[in-house]
Amino acid sequence: MSKIMEWVDARLPVTALLKSQATEYPTPKNLNYWWNFGSLALFVLIIMIATGLFLAMHYKADANQSFDVVEHIMRDVNYGWLLRYLHANGASFFFMVVYIHILRGMYYGSYRKPREILWWFGIIIFFMMMATAFMGYVLPWGQMSYWGAAVITNLMSAIPIIGEDLVVWIWGGFSVGDPTLNRFFALHFLLPLVIFGVVMVHMWALHAVHSNNPVGIDVHEGKDTIPFHPYYTIKDLYGAGVFLIFFCAVVFYAPNFFLEPDNYIPANPMQTPAHIVPEWYFLPFYAILRSIDFLGSFSKLAGVIAMGGAIAILFILPFLDRSPVRSFRYRPLSKQLFWIFVVDCFVLGWVGYNPADAAIFDGALPLIIVGRTGTALYFGYFFLLWVITAFDIEKHTPVPKSI
Amino acid sequence: MNVLTAQTTGRATVQTVGRRLGHWVSMLLLLVASLATLLPATGAMASGGVAIPKQNWSFAGMFGTFDNAALKRGAQVAVQSCMTCHSIKYIKFDQLRQFGVSEQEVKTWAESQGRTKKDAMLSGMEAAAAKEAFGVVPPDLSLITKARKGYEDYVFGILTGYASAADVALAQRVMADGKVSGEEAKEVASQLQLDLRHPDKMGEVLKRIVAGENFNRYFPGHFFAMPAPLSDGAVVYSDGTENSRNQLARDVVTFLAWAAEPTQMERKSLGIKVLLYLFVLTIMLYAVKRRIWAKVH
Repeated sequence: MSKIMEWVDARLPVTALLKSQATEYPTPKNLNYWWNFGSLALFVLIIMIATGLFLAMHYKADANQSFDVVEHIMRDVNYGWLLRYLHANGASFFFMVVYIHILRGMYYGSYRKPREILWWFGIIIFFMMMATAFMGYVLPWGQMSYWGAAVITNLMSAIPIIGEDLVVWIWGGFSVGDPTLNRFFALHFLLPLVIFGVVMVHMWALHAVHSNNPVGIDVHEGKDTIPFHPYYTIKDLYGAGVFLIFFCAVVFYAPNFFLEPDNYIPANPMQTPAHIVPEWYFLPFYAILRSIDFLGSFSKLAGVIAMGGAIAILFILPFLDRSPVRSFRYRPLSKQLFWIFVVDCFVLGWVGYNPADAAIFDGALPLIIVGRTGTALYFGYFFLLWVITAFDIEKHTPVPKSI
Repeated sequence: MNVLTAQTTGRATVQTVGRRLGHWVSMLLLLVASLATLLPATGAMASGGVAIPKQNWSFAGMFGTFDNAALKRGAQVAVQSCMTCHSIKYIKFDQLRQFGVSEQEVKTWAESQGRTKKDAMLSGMEAAAAKEAFGVVPPDLSLITKARKGYEDYVFGILTGYASAADVALAQRVMADGKVSGEEAKEVASQLQLDLRHPDKMGEVLKRIVAGENFNRYFPGHFFAMPAPLSDGAVVYSDGTENSRNQLARDVVTFLAWAAEPTQMERKSLGIKVLLYLFVLTIMLYAVKRRIWAKVH
């Protein structure tokens, strides 16, 4: 065995790579369980690619057949129901894991110097995930697939001058139809593999600068670090076990919890559903899009820009945050802003779930007002974080000298 | 675990306690916010339907199972009543033998729709003829219990939610003078489950009931292209079970729940094994994790 490894290592230094990047890769010893979600996200990505590959072997992208084919997978393919439910719910769990991963990075300042590029690649992954999930949702060709695709692709028409032509180009026709479904399938198959590649770059960037930690200070290698294996391999495995329990509980006992009933109705271009609602993971962004409705004919474009901006603003977060301290643990004001931001995301999600003309308290409070306030708070987080750190308003509590 | 080590080593300072308190307050806020997402918002769209009563289904829950006798009766109702207009295209007649319908019955039922037992359960009625008669093509029922908010409860509600003779009599009595008084409005709202907040619409609804339109208390918008499909005694069971409308509805919904996902019992029984395995595995992984990390803590 060792002879073979020697032979291989002389040609491709596998052992050295494993040693430096896994078995002896120095990791801060104080990482808490929120740090599990990075490896967990990779784990879910692998589940998605594996189940997706087998689903693709049975699926047909065809406006006349796709709905039936999904039912064929559910009924006739051996364990087809399992593959589909793993894949459909896997998307929801993927977003849950990634949202927690992103929020962890925001709370502990993992986007700060020298991890800006690591952070940017993370946002790129997030953005590609959204595109992939959106196109995947179209493939069963149910009512929500069709109308969700129609509503979202239509947003492109808000782009000045080229908008209308762009939408026709994306559709491959004058409405969402068979060509749209086919190209979405092709892209839905391709993008996860691209995501996988970008994940590798994300990890390369991570291994170049090493992990941040809950205290947020630079660690002393040796004194403060432990080798990734066996400490974090076992911790990540344990985390994956807990994750799988939650995931499988939903897959086996509430597999339609995250799915809209309307998507079990075949796509019908002649009949608009009463209430078109995107998947839950898009809801806060959907609410931001709809909350800009007061600019007349510019509302649509402004809404699209606001929605894109809600993600794009994450790119400049490393430069907005000027605090000398990374971790919010020692930043009382930032911490409060952070939790307001988190609650605000839930509120926006709830606004996005409800019809645009809905109201609460017996009509006294139209949800559009809540939506606008929520949107202001969302962007307010980034602005205020900059204000309190750039003008030294925040006084941080004592930061430990070592972990 | 951090709490434990902090306490045993006596490092639980006021600061860390405060921090933990802050965490819990934030978590509470999160919880409130997530609960708020359950808050019902009323809008133009939301006012159409009413709350659908919950039913107990034998097949619901982790350990739920299908009652074969109920499935057989339900299949009979589906074939002899629903399939006059609706198809159940993802099920073949032959599949009904899975829960004990005899070969002879399968053959007879298939022939009643002009099919053979190897065919999909397609209605004998042509789509064009159905559209002529009802103005819409009746939807395929294969996925109906998964394709409506409220699922099985909704379908049961629709089947049993039509205006009864007493409901029609009430409508006639109230509308005898052409208008709905305040007292009458309350009575109508409670009996027909109409929205009291829209008294102006109530008169219109009652007028249409009197005119003989298909009123259904659980259908959003209340008026339905489908006339009441089930009534007491509409189907005669061979096993002697009473054939009230509610019993017929209950049985056929059970059958439709099966038809919507014939693999669901396989899913549930596999799920228990998977979860048990994962529990044991995760506990073991945790034990190993503790052991390995003991050197660090």
